[in-house]
Amino acid sequence: MNTTAKNLPELVIRPEFENTDIKDAHTGDIAVELSAFEKVWNINGVRKAVILLGLMVTWQVYTVALDVEPLMFPTFLIAAERLIVDLFTGTLIFKIWFSVKVLLIGYSAGMAIAAVLVLWATASRLGSDFIATATAMFNPLPAIAMLPLAMLWFGLGTASLVFVLIHSVLWAVALNTHSGFKNVTETLKMIGENYGLRGVPFVCKVLVPAAFPSILSGMKVGWAFAWRTLIGAELVFGASSGSGGLGWYIFESSQNIETEGVFAGLFMVILIGIVVENVVFRNVELKTVYRWGMQR
Amino acid sequence: MSSLPQTIVRPEFETDGLGAADHGDVARRLTLYERISNMDSVRKFSILLVFMVAWEMYTRISGVSHFMLPKFSDTAASLFTAVLNENLLIMVWNSLTILITGYAIGLGIAALLTTAAIMTRFGSDLLSTLTAMLNPLPAIALLPLALLWFGLGAESIVFTLLHSVIWPVALNAHTGFMGVSETQRMVGRNYGLKGLTYVIKLLIPAAFPSILMGMKIGWAFAWRTLIAAELVFGGSISDTAETESGGLGWFIFSNQMDMQIPHVFAGLFTVIVVGIVVENVIFTNLEIRTVRRWGMQSS
Repeated sequence: MNTTAKNLPELVIRPEFENTDIKDAHTGDIAVELSAFEKVWNINGVRKAVILLGLMVTWQVYTVALDVEPLMFPTFLIAAERLIVDLFTGTLIFKIWFSVKVLLIGYSAGMAIAAVLVLWATASRLGSDFIATATAMFNPLPAIAMLPLAMLWFGLGTASLVFVLIHSVLWAVALNTHSGFKNVTETLKMIGENYGLRGVPFVCKVLVPAAFPSILSGMKVGWAFAWRTLIGAELVFGASSGSGGLGWYIFESSQNIETEGVFAGLFMVILIGIVVENVVFRNVELKTVYRWGMQR
Repeated sequence: MSSLPQTIVRPEFETDGLGAADHGDVARRLTLYERISNMDSVRKFSILLVFMVAWEMYTRISGVSHFMLPKFSDTAASLFTAVLNENLLIMVWNSLTILITGYAIGLGIAALLTTAAIMTRFGSDLLSTLTAMLNPLPAIALLPLALLWFGLGAESIVFTLLHSVIWPVALNAHTGFMGVSETQRMVGRNYGLKGLTYVIKLLIPAAFPSILMGMKIGWAFAWRTLIAAELVFGGSISDTAETESGGLGWFIFSNQMDMQIPHVFAGLFTVIVVGIVVENVIFTNLEIRTVRRWGMQSS
């Protein structure tokens, strides 16, 4: 005890003092009316619109001022004009519809198969093992790599596209749903059993709502993979099935060196992506997990 | 009061018909079969085994054309020969070098963008506008443009890979930084951390779970994009690249063109193996050493 006390440095006690030079506190302007510019600039939408506008102007000025070869990089106005012309007079709208239709078929089929697999996994240990093994094996396999096989099995056409899309949706959704179900707390499950729920009603009324955040994130990942896979697959062989899709439109334009057509196609891809992510999924989130207070 | 239903008091009674309680076996030794089948890896391994046997039996019994679905044994044999004699490993390495180059540059650019976004409000607005716009755009759709700008070669693939990595990583890192609690930020400032040290020592560790999530999504997109790019344009790219043999996607595509279907399956197996190694070895280890060790994420 004494030895440790010796090793400590000695305490220094500073003398008390009073500072007499301090003037009255001065707190500047606490509340000032913001100027009109500041008020407008504080609106989020305005700032983002200005940034978008800035990007467009930069693009236009860059291409015009430097006289960039339009085959390499067309001006913004030409690309926008091409988009509008093709959208209203050309076949672009049918190509979009073709892509979206294939995507919807593949997505819903994939979801249905995932639902069946997950139901089996909740019912038996064998199913649970099966789903764990299959997702571990197939989730890291890019769906597009199955395309050569799909073309061999189903020929050139919508069936191959749907097969590849199912593959890209199924594993992501099954993995997330299964792990969501496993993480449902024991208390909630016991409450469900207490109400006499069993089998499918138990899954639909207890497990699905309780695991909805992770089901939804699986659906979002599945959508992202499916959208990427579809565009990739259509780049390869979309034309073979009649009118072809959006990916085929991009590929065709690039083969004909109509670069403004490529940009028009890219605009459409971005637009559809934004609509699905920020309108469809956002609304589903607002009506379910946000409303139920599971996510903020 | 009068509208309430009347309470019914049931008479007390005693049942005499109950026998002595019978619990069955409360504790008993499990049989050997039960003990073995309780092991997780045994069950999963036997599922794989059953799958392989079913494949082999199906192809033998139904007599399906081996161009449509080759026997499992043929597939395994061609995987073996491809690794030994046909430079499959070199092709995997070619794919991985391109992937790593694109991934590393993408992470760097994402770090720059995110730093700009947390320093200034303009940067933050710019990042959120760009990610909202470009994140839904599949990187593979940019490949035709990349081919036009950079010609046939590794540069075009790296360009598309960059695009597939930057946006998910930047988006997740930014939301992670935004979600760091005010308390932790104030602790950091109290220690006198500022500027870059503040970001490295405080923000990055605090936001690491979502940075890691972004890196994982970025890897998944990049891997898918790379295989797709090599499948679609791999032939033309490998013709001009210095490496003679092309990548893994090209291996699958060229063998499909030659109707070497067992080789196509061998290529798919390799894709799966590489994916499993990266996800379950590299990323899981990274998780165990960082977020789980720091107690930010359980199992």
